[in-house]
Amino acid sequence: MRFNEKEMVHLSRQPSEMVAELGMRGPKKGDVVKRRLVKLVVNFLFYFKTDEEEPVGALLLEQCRVEKEDNLTFSVAFLEDAERKYLFECDSEEQCEKWIDSIIKASYEFMRRNLIFYRTEIHRLTGKDPLEQYGISDEARFQVTNGLQHSSRDASSM
Amino acid sequence: MKIDEKVVSYLESSNSPVDKEGYLYKKGDIRPSYHKRWFVLKGNLLFYKDHPDDRDLIGVIVLEGCTVQLCESEEQFAFSLVWSEPGLRPYKFAAEDQASQESWIKALLSANHGYLSLLVMDLEKKYKETLAALFSDPANGAAAAPNVGRELSPHLPTLTRHPAGALAAGPSASFIPTLQTPAVPLKSTVKRSPKLWPKRTANVTPISGPAPPAGDWSAVCSGTREEFSKLHADFGKEVKDLIADWSRSGRAGPVAFQENLIDLSSFE
Repeated sequence: MRFNEKEMVHLSRQPSEMVAELGMRGPKKGDVVKRRLVKLVVNFLFYFKTDEEEPVGALLLEQCRVEKEDNLTFSVAFLEDAERKYLFECDSEEQCEKWIDSIIKASYEFMRRNLIFYRTEIHRLTGKDPLEQYGISDEARFQVTNGLQHSSRDASSM
Repeated sequence: MKIDEKVVSYLESSNSPVDKEGYLYKKGDIRPSYHKRWFVLKGNLLFYKDHPDDRDLIGVIVLEGCTVQLCESEEQFAFSLVWSEPGLRPYKFAAEDQASQESWIKALLSANHGYLSLLVMDLEKKYKETLAALFSDPANGAAAAPNVGRELSPHLPTLTRHPAGALAAGPSASFIPTLQTPAVPLKSTVKRSPKLWPKRTANVTPISGPAPPAGDWSAVCSGTREEFSKLHADFGKEVKDLIADWSRSGRAGPVAFQENLIDLSSFE
């Protein structure tokens, strides 16, 4: 499967408030803890070997389960698969909780759900749709039912 | 760089919201021919495969750090994804008709994480202002209570063994978004798009959850409505200018649009 690796590497170099060296353990049995520079950029968690320019890998933070494992450790797991659970060891409980919070809030789908909630509530409380001002009320992206059914397909696909 | 293909594939096939899907022609990476592919846009991810019912994905394009432009092409209804970094080549596409071209350009322009993030911050602020205004009139107190119990409340992901208060708004969880111009230098031939990078360094949206107590507005961000409005207006202008330039230069097919991609009259 192809992905735009060069552009992703470029993305991994963008500024981020959530960057730290953490102990990271891969998901496979027998994987050991390694020090990695972990960096949150948009909805990706990049991890680098210290002092390397290019990330070792990237975790896409959508539909993943983020959990606190103990006071200093959190996990990010995918597909309910034990072989796809990554562990991260922090230096303090505060740091651990900050990472958990940040990762959850970085998810595109999390933001979308919040948007739909605020939009609906504002409309309910004021009678006005806050997206109208921007002319984007009809975009599929912001509809309440988006996700329950497929958005309208391109006419050209028929 | 490693990514988990199975996770990416799963995201495409899962019933997470689809922002747009349809056929587009994509120019090959090496050879100049265009191939018809089925594209699925979900958030800031553009997946593609041969046919809608195929299980195997050919690939995914992460839509961060790019803008969308009309482009010169022997193909009609062409457009391209252009990156802010020199050395990253554009991805070229062609739609089947003008409506599709317009619709895809619009969808791709606003697919990035930063756009949604700014929009959510803006609405969160409006929501808090609305509640504050309503709470200041005691008669409105009951009506203002958010629909926390109903289906529309945001689904905060389940966290096991996580202390209850950690996700709520509070001094330790708030941040002040800082405006920063993108650090990446832009090629002079690439139009500087206001959209190329979100003008802030943080990746976290200060979502505090559906029911902050009335007195606790410590996490309100200033200036977000102005930021988003400006961003939105700048987009619209940029697209409009591109279309105008293209029509004037008289190349390729007719590119006149009947109406604005983004309705600028709704914004003063």
